[in-house]
Amino acid sequence: MSDWWSYGLADLLLFSPRVYYRLFETMNTTWWVVVISAFVAGLIASGLAMRHGHRGNRVILVLLSVIWAWMSYGFLWQYYRPINWAVPYLLPGFVLQAVLLAVFAARPLPLRFGWRGDLTSAIGVGFMVCAFLIYPFAGVLEGRELVQAELFGSAPDPTALGMLGFTLMARGTWRWLLLPVPLIWCVVSAATLWVMDQQIAVVMLTAVWVTIFCGWLDLKNGITTRHLTEAEIKH
Amino acid sequence: MSEFDRRAFLKATASFGALGLMASATPAWTQDSGAAPKTPEVLHKHIPSTGERIPAIGLGSWITFNVGNDMELRDQCADVISAFFKAGGRMIDSSPMYGSAQDVIGYCLETLGAHNRVFSTDKVWTAGDGMAQIRETAKRWNIKQFDLLQVHNLLGINENLPLLFRLKDEGLLRYVGVTTSHGRRTDDLIAVMKNERLDFVQVTYNPVDRKVEDYLLPLAYDRGIAVIVNRPFRGGSLTERLEGEPLPEFASALEVDSWAQLILKYLIAHPAVTCPIPATTKPAHAAENMRAAVGPLPDEKMREQIAGVIGVLI
Repeated sequence: MSDWWSYGLADLLLFSPRVYYRLFETMNTTWWVVVISAFVAGLIASGLAMRHGHRGNRVILVLLSVIWAWMSYGFLWQYYRPINWAVPYLLPGFVLQAVLLAVFAARPLPLRFGWRGDLTSAIGVGFMVCAFLIYPFAGVLEGRELVQAELFGSAPDPTALGMLGFTLMARGTWRWLLLPVPLIWCVVSAATLWVMDQQIAVVMLTAVWVTIFCGWLDLKNGITTRHLTEAEIKH
Repeated sequence: MSEFDRRAFLKATASFGALGLMASATPAWTQDSGAAPKTPEVLHKHIPSTGERIPAIGLGSWITFNVGNDMELRDQCADVISAFFKAGGRMIDSSPMYGSAQDVIGYCLETLGAHNRVFSTDKVWTAGDGMAQIRETAKRWNIKQFDLLQVHNLLGINENLPLLFRLKDEGLLRYVGVTTSHGRRTDDLIAVMKNERLDFVQVTYNPVDRKVEDYLLPLAYDRGIAVIVNRPFRGGSLTERLEGEPLPEFASALEVDSWAQLILKYLIAHPAVTCPIPATTKPAHAAENMRAAVGPLPDEKMREQIAGVIGVLI
């Protein structure tokens, strides 16, 4: 009688929305300097991502790496792990994402951020706008307190959404390495929010499908397979 | 239904209802002479394997007690347990699957100094080292010995059930049980009930989810297995749906103030049911739930009425 097949999604829900959103309240009030710093760092990275430039490219990767490292320790380890026994299984993915970003920053790999003027870029910008401005405050519309806002840089949902945006804004085949972790998180989070009866689950799930569509579009248009020229890499 | 006498079971059902009505003649609460209130007199039920009596309402911890390290919420949980004990409750149920709930219960018992009050009920939920998990669970509760340990959702039952029986034989555990929920794997549970000398089973049962009435509850009664009822309010959705609806007229004879109490009376009036374990985050609800174990209980006819009314409203 072995047995995991007998569990439904509802069985694996362990906490209430009240407790889940209190995590953000406690983190935002306890670590407010770090939370605001991470949010501002994300804003700087998003501004740089709109431009083309070698130095800016490296700064973006460093900032995003630090953000993923902080989120792994701050939210996941300190706050989420005590109420969700699945976190230790998810945490290595977050650490891997931080390491990947650091490696991209350290090595001259063909990955460049910058506005391309195509549909994928536009959707990438849309994801960033959602991550920085819409998602954090959507809860307020549902009656949650502002102090419970999920901010890019510290809360995993908007950070994963934003990361998808950054990746869609990038060029070069290596960028796809940065997609699995945020995509998996979006699916896990959508399932969690769905079971908690939170309508915003639709946003996370939609982001997954739109990203997959953009990947297909880039593949079709040859953007994915086109290697960056030496000049583009050095620029 | 070949292994037990259905007629005898139904007779017991009817006589239990009558006993419940007789119990209404006794005072609901007892007081010291002008001093602090004593533990209220609530209905107790027998654990068939030993005859030990425990209060007929317990306290679940799924979701509600998984509050992590949030001290404000931990203290709210302590208030819930305090209200539950003050109202006469004893059994608290948890699981390694419930996140931080075990730690929180341990914190609450420590805060309230109530380790000697609780009827401690937990589970083994692993396909790996069951003994290591039991040790960890005891550490989290800050308790030396559990009253009852159950194999959670039959996970790893071939390894964990013999382990629990061994602990019981060695005097390190008082009772052994097996749980399911949401009506799943009922056939597997029935097979275990037929083949093992269980003290307890835990199943989902409420006026809407009544599948266990057909076979499992009569079997438990026949085999002398105590029954803990989980999800008596369907995880809260049942009482939420009924909120605002007027109680049926016949409910006044049962001295209930709420749908929650009516549902709990429906459950504990079943002769095979030992103890439903509703979960709550509110001390007032914990006390309200316990009051379902006071006063008259419905007979079989009234139980059908309750299920009928609720079935129509859901």
